[in-house]
Amino acid sequence: MAILKFISKRIVQIIITLILVISVSYIMMYFSPGGFMNTSTMATALAPLQGQNPVLYQEVMEQFQSRYGLNLPLYQQILKYVWHELTFDFGNSMQNPSLSIMSQLQRTLPVSVILAFGSIILSVVVGVPLGIIAALKRNTWVDYLVSTVSLAGQAIPAFVLAVILVLLFGVVFQGILPITGWGRWDEAILPIICLSAANVGVVARYMRGSLIETLRSDFIRTAKAKGVKYWPMVMKHGVKNSLTAMITVIGPQFAFTVMGTIWVEQIFAIPGLGQVMQTAFTSFDFPLAITSVFLLGSMIMVMNLMVDIIYAIIDPRVKL
Amino acid sequence: MASTVAETHSEVVLKKKKVRRSEFYQGWKRFKKHRLAVIGLVWVVIFCLAGIIGPWVAPHDYRTGDFLAINQAPSWKYIFGTDNVGHDMFSQILYSIRSALIIAIGATLVSFIIGVILGLWAGLRGGIADMIIMRAVDFMMTLPGFLFALILVIMLGRGYLSLILAIGIPGWAGYARLIRSLVLSMRDSEMVEAARALGASQAHIARRYMLPNVIGSMGVALAFGIPGDLIQIAGLSIFGMGLQPPIPSFGNMIAQAGENILGFPWLLYFPAGIFAITLLSFLFVADGLQEAFSPKGGN
Repeated sequence: MAILKFISKRIVQIIITLILVISVSYIMMYFSPGGFMNTSTMATALAPLQGQNPVLYQEVMEQFQSRYGLNLPLYQQILKYVWHELTFDFGNSMQNPSLSIMSQLQRTLPVSVILAFGSIILSVVVGVPLGIIAALKRNTWVDYLVSTVSLAGQAIPAFVLAVILVLLFGVVFQGILPITGWGRWDEAILPIICLSAANVGVVARYMRGSLIETLRSDFIRTAKAKGVKYWPMVMKHGVKNSLTAMITVIGPQFAFTVMGTIWVEQIFAIPGLGQVMQTAFTSFDFPLAITSVFLLGSMIMVMNLMVDIIYAIIDPRVKL
Repeated sequence: MASTVAETHSEVVLKKKKVRRSEFYQGWKRFKKHRLAVIGLVWVVIFCLAGIIGPWVAPHDYRTGDFLAINQAPSWKYIFGTDNVGHDMFSQILYSIRSALIIAIGATLVSFIIGVILGLWAGLRGGIADMIIMRAVDFMMTLPGFLFALILVIMLGRGYLSLILAIGIPGWAGYARLIRSLVLSMRDSEMVEAARALGASQAHIARRYMLPNVIGSMGVALAFGIPGDLIQIAGLSIFGMGLQPPIPSFGNMIAQAGENILGFPWLLYFPAGIFAITLLSFLFVADGLQEAFSPKGGN
């Protein structure tokens, strides 16, 4: 039951963090030049309506004002807004008043989730073997190659890699893989590769370090002394025990992957959360902007929570 | 008698100087062993020089386009080609280096200063201040700084100073945590305890015992900070929230090149290539510094 207590404690923490995130973003946008919800964005979006039906226009504007409590003091506005967000009542976007934020997100959020999880899975599948090879062939050219490549993967941001891949598969290897769009399974390959590059590097480096350390420990020596063969020793005793350390790395790394998705989506023209965010931020669509920040934040924190739970289940030494 | 005292004194001074110099000398020797780090350092120096002297060596003005030479491939006149309004790419890149360096260094310093102040405060004061600051650090660390940067850009605008602040302010948490942990580990170390027992003043302990041991880790943290900030600047531009387009920046160029990449791929080669090489170089240098100067070193 310790785990239930731990999970509930963490969920409370997550909710407090989210409340802080929403309030901080609200306050910052409130004091941004032009002012939060100064209704001018709405007014421009609804300008045609004003001409056609002034009464309806007035009604919509009033509804808008009362929804966000624009005539209340700031702290009450914030409380009101936080409550709306936490109950998933996101309201409508300002740019596109006829479109609810919920419907936009329902379409786009799964895309980003697929990209992020696909990249995490790919980076573990590729990074772990690379790390093992580097650790076993320590200080040989294989090790240096793996280290350098993984460092390069970490250094080159996803958006630079994305344009390079578009160029490669658009010109040199034309027609092998689609370079833009979203819908078929093979259109996800290049974006996921882009997002994974950095993670592969991190996973490989950690795997290498952790495996080297594990192979030095006493129980490996005991296994050797008992006459366990090389590969079973490495795989069963070494790798299995190093993997637990790996899992802790994946959590924080996920945050960067999620940020990477919003860049990569720009370049591959994928209709994900990143595109929604970009329109929200560049057109000062505050409700949509704060909601997307809120969702990204909760995605990252839920992922971290999952990692912690998995870690506790796998590693019996961890006490929650 | 007097002369012998003076002699021994000067000898001690000489010895001290030698020891002090050799600390850095040995670090430099260790650094030189990493070939990639040295290559990276050379590139970083070239990059910084290009940023400093850029406006004087740029062959064309980055603002005025040559409308008779739109989307040209690299030639002798335009060695990196021209973009879709005839801007010389080479000059644009020189100016981008300048803007990227100004913002990256400024932002890293902002994060560093906030981090040092809060980290020292938390480490030396302890108690409730420590608890509040560390809670704030946890809060900042759970979410990527880029999210906060986006929101700050909305609030502050898209000029140089606002971008420095937007990228710098959210980045303090890592530095604060590092400095707090260094202070804590140092405060209770035997070395400091011994110095205190000998009657050394607080300032003397800080200067002679804490600073030399901390400076390596701080330098490494700063070296890792700059490429991270470079990525964030470019990321903001990709998002359409970076420097206002007439001012050239790597992110803008990469985003623009991405739009018509199949027709005019050279618009991508140079900005993306130089940007990637620069990031790699900074990272190699940081890696080399870590292994040469940080007491714990890498794996």
